[in-house]
Amino acid sequence: MKYESQKIAQNFYTFAVLLFLVQVLVGIIAALQFIWPDFFPLKFNIIRDLHINALVVWLLMGLMGATYYVVPEESQSELWSIPLAKFQFWATVVAVTAVVLGYIWMGFDPQANKFVAGTLLLNEGREYIEAPRWADWLIALSVILFLINNFMTMYKSKRWTGIQGTLLGGLTFLALMYLPGMFYTKSMVKDQFWWWWVIHLWVEGAWEVIAGALLAFMLMKVTNAERHVLERWMYIEVGLVLFTGILGTGHHYYWIGTPKYWLWVGGIFSSLEPIPLLLMVWDAFRTTRKHRVVTNRLGLFYATSHAIFNFVGAGLWGVIHTLPQVNKWTHGTQITTAHGHLAFYGAYVLLVMSMIYITLPLIRGVNEFNTSRGYRSFWWMTISMIFIVLTLTGAGMVQTYMERLIGLDYVTVKATYNFWFWALRAIFGVGFLYGAWLFVIDFFKLGKEPVEVTSTATETVA
Amino acid sequence: MSNRGVRNLFVFGSLFFFVIFVALTFDTMKRLDKRAPEITAEVDEGKKLWHKYDCIGCHTILGNGSYFAPDLTKVTVNKPEGYLEKFLVNPKKVKSTAAMPALGITPDEAKKLVAFLDWVSKVDTNGWPPKPVLATFRMPQTPGVTVYQKYGCSSCHMISGVGGTSGPDLTKVASRRPDPEWHKRHLREPSALVPDSAMPAYPQISDEELNQLVDYLLTLK
Ligand code: HEC
Ligand code: HEC
Ligand code: HEM
Ligand code: HEM
Ligand SMILES: [Fe+2]
Repeated sequence: MKYESQKIAQNFYTFAVLLFLVQVLVGIIAALQFIWPDFFPLKFNIIRDLHINALVVWLLMGLMGATYYVVPEESQSELWSIPLAKFQFWATVVAVTAVVLGYIWMGFDPQANKFVAGTLLLNEGREYIEAPRWADWLIALSVILFLINNFMTMYKSKRWTGIQGTLLGGLTFLALMYLPGMFYTKSMVKDQFWWWWVIHLWVEGAWEVIAGALLAFMLMKVTNAERHVLERWMYIEVGLVLFTGILGTGHHYYWIGTPKYWLWVGGIFSSLEPIPLLLMVWDAFRTTRKHRVVTNRLGLFYATSHAIFNFVGAGLWGVIHTLPQVNKWTHGTQITTAHGHLAFYGAYVLLVMSMIYITLPLIRGVNEFNTSRGYRSFWWMTISMIFIVLTLTGAGMVQTYMERLIGLDYVTVKATYNFWFWALRAIFGVGFLYGAWLFVIDFFKLGKEPVEVTSTATETVA
Repeated sequence: MSNRGVRNLFVFGSLFFFVIFVALTFDTMKRLDKRAPEITAEVDEGKKLWHKYDCIGCHTILGNGSYFAPDLTKVTVNKPEGYLEKFLVNPKKVKSTAAMPALGITPDEAKKLVAFLDWVSKVDTNGWPPKPVLATFRMPQTPGVTVYQKYGCSSCHMISGVGGTSGPDLTKVASRRPDPEWHKRHLREPSALVPDSAMPAYPQISDEELNQLVDYLLTLK
């Protein structure tokens, strides 16, 4: 670490990893509610809201922390304003806590979610963007302050690099794409139409652009690869992400009441979305092969795994149900859940974790650290996640066949045919929790315990 | 190509696709109103209640949402309004095994929610959800079975694993209720025998059909 202000990243990382634990814990409760719907005082919808909101918020916090690390380094200057970054951090923590308490309150008393001045007080009742309107504004404000801080840093130093330009471009796109979720429409069709602008253009647009930029940064950091080669491939990757991903939004406009031409637009463009993700995998391997000098092997291991599971979870598990001919039968089944889990895990959970493993040792000023817990955590999480996804894919295939093809009742299929899949998911969920726990321990201990294993800072890959 | 060239390709290429996307969005918005019925004040209030109670946290609608509970796109096509309203107000009273909690919905709110769901069911969804293509259950084609199918009893009742779960499973109903007179009165007016019954009344079934239907029900032991 060269700049004192890069330390602010740690605040964001800390809040992120704690929320990660909360997310996984409530995920297990949600999984058990598939078997015993009434066993927990908060009903399934509230638990699920907590699960997916904690997920989105901790990933955003992680990405913000990572950006605060990257931008000073790339601009070769201190951050424009540390107090602003601290203020923005604490404001976000307070807003997020208030929203969480609101969900819990609503869980105990659904009537507490009243309309105040035309908007709902505690929960907007729209998936992923459940946060009420007042919180939307606070979140938007926080993101704007965050963007200003970073742009000013770049502006003052007059040093624009491709990596940070792309990173901030992706973050700006992310902020803008929050807006289509912030107005009410009377028509449920329009509601879902704009809702997908937020959800799809986030995960398959803005966030993938950010991932492309961070991947280039990480590869540059842990190998001595040349910047201009990395940046060139980065432009190609993120370019293809947007060329395919923007019109790929059409894969959500097949059946919600929108015109038929979306079947063509969505089917064709979304089928091409895996290509840039495959390029990223190739990029990671090519760079490692070519530059045999690796600092921080664990970091590189996580970064490469991120690239691979981004391709598998988003690319492969996405493309299997993206053609209208298939999606007609699988739309809204457990196949979607299987894809949602592996995609978010591979693309963004592993991304934030690899950024943490690459930047945290530098922030803490350690050249060597114990890597064994980091590897164990990876295998516990990844193997558990693979099995969760296989279980859900199984449940989705049974559901598609029994309910959609044969015409059996939804509740029957869920309660009888898929029962064992729910049980298995919950069990593998505990395995995942153990892995996540190891990671959080490792986060707090990294660089603070004596090094046992030989993991020299710089070593040559055989 | 230089890095600058690749960068420009990325920036302007992305803008190009975004502009096309915005143009398609405008076109779509223009066409939407023709693909769905008019939105009345009641439908709009129902939609607001849909958000207030966070129904999407358990259900999908138009196939999007959560996968814990059935998709509600066509629910008003398959279930009568009276039944749905009773269910929304207190699910466990209608069906003791219901996993849906009582959310404190009033009868008036239930009406509005059903109006909203009914609006959704009339949206032109390009044929989704599709009809099951492999449905090949063979029930014995007796006159009673024909009546059972004609009046859509199976959207709420299950016989030998086939049918809905809103009402009790009828596979062995005759062992519980062997009396034909009870069935006849119950079908004409369920709430006369079962207080607060959520089953719709069937005054429209002819006397002949009623006899055939009850004969069939009595074979289910
Ligand atoms: C905590 C989860 C949960 C919430 C919240 C929820 N539901 Fe349900 N709902 C269910 C489940 C599960 C079923 C399936 C039947 C059962 O087992 O209860 C269901 C069934 C239904 C049915 C179908 C009944 C039938 O017999 O076909 C309707 C209609 C319905 N819900 C409407 C709503 C509406 C409207 C809301 C919001 C006001 C809502 N639900 C909120 C879980 C939920
Ligand atoms: C909208 C859902 C719905 C439909 C449609 C429906 N029922 Fe029912 N049915 C119920 C409910 C709820 C009950 C439980 C309350 C009661 O007994 O009235 C019930 C109860 C019954 C019972 C008594 C079962 C027992 O164990 O006590 C019989 C028999 C029955 N229905 C037959 C029929 C027949 C025949 C038809 C078609 C003509 C039909 N139902 C249509 C919801 C429905
Ligand atoms: C990192 C990238 C991605 C993430 C995080 C992601 C995540 C998700 C999630 C969470 C959903 C469910 C949304 C809901 O809850 O309603 C979803 C739906 C979907 N995704 Fe992705 N996805 C990604 C990339 C892709 C790609 C590349 C494709 C196609 C090639 C794809 C195809 C689909 C399809 C077709 C659906 C709709 C499923 C349905 O009809 O129910 N996704 N995605
Ligand atoms: C880092 C790991 C995880 C990620 C990224 C993640 C992500 C998500 C996402 C995006 C959704 C909503 C969309 C969807 O249903 O597809 C979801 C729902 C859910 N998750 Fe997770 N999750 C993770 C871990 C877990 C674990 C360990 C469990 C417990 C076993 C779990 C249980 C659930 C359940 C039960 C739902 C509701 C699904 C439904 O509606 O049918 N999740 N998760
Ligand atoms: Fe998508």
